[in-house]
Amino acid sequence: MSGKYTLGYKTVIDTLRTSKGKLIIISNNCPPLRKSEIEYYAMLAKVGVHHYNGNNVDLGTACGKYFRVSCLSIIDAGDSDIIKSLPGDQ
Amino acid sequence: MVKFLKPNKAVILLQGRYAGRKGVIVKAFDDGTRDRAYGHCLVAGIKKYPSKVIRKDSAKKTAKKSRVKPFVKLVNYQHLMPTRYTLDVDLKEVVTPDVLTSKDKKVTALKETKKRFEERFKTGKNRWFFTKLRF
Repeated sequence: MSGKYTLGYKTVIDTLRTSKGKLIIISNNCPPLRKSEIEYYAMLAKVGVHHYNGNNVDLGTACGKYFRVSCLSIIDAGDSDIIKSLPGDQ
Repeated sequence: MVKFLKPNKAVILLQGRYAGRKGVIVKAFDDGTRDRAYGHCLVAGIKKYPSKVIRKDSAKKTAKKSRVKPFVKLVNYQHLMPTRYTLDVDLKEVVTPDVLTSKDKKVTALKETKKRFEERFKTGKNRWFFTKLRF
């Protein structure tokens, strides 16, 4: 309910460039070149990347959307503690 | 969460005439300007890389092989691939946004950039920057 996010490769890279992204989630069937590129940007920006255990269809469903989502970026956690709990257990 | 498109960052140009060339960010405009409403930066890069210099080259040949041809360009962030490398060559006074307004200013700025790039190449530091990206 609270918190902000963006979906999609283009916006994910944008949020990384402007250092707005706090956590990136990538589906497991994201093409490897794109996955490496996102991970490299995230490495430069010192942002955590979580590899979701499911493909883009599942990730889209998990977001409550009726389309596929390959990668998403969390800009603002809001009330959730995903950012504190997720990079911790990696 | 760390801003990485900062001055002295080595980048690779992805689009345009200079695609595949390496450059260094001289000045970054994150929020754009009135003419360019998107994030972009001034990049000073290498138009023509220096050739491979071997030990048995004469002094004249090494001088000829170590020549670097630079370029200066305003590039959209989307057309850059940032790298983990940096190149701390001080080009801030030499390369400014108003350099691109007139041909003479550009020529003098490029001459100065060429000089600085070449002396950096000759010291053997930042070797990655001066090698051509093979793709």
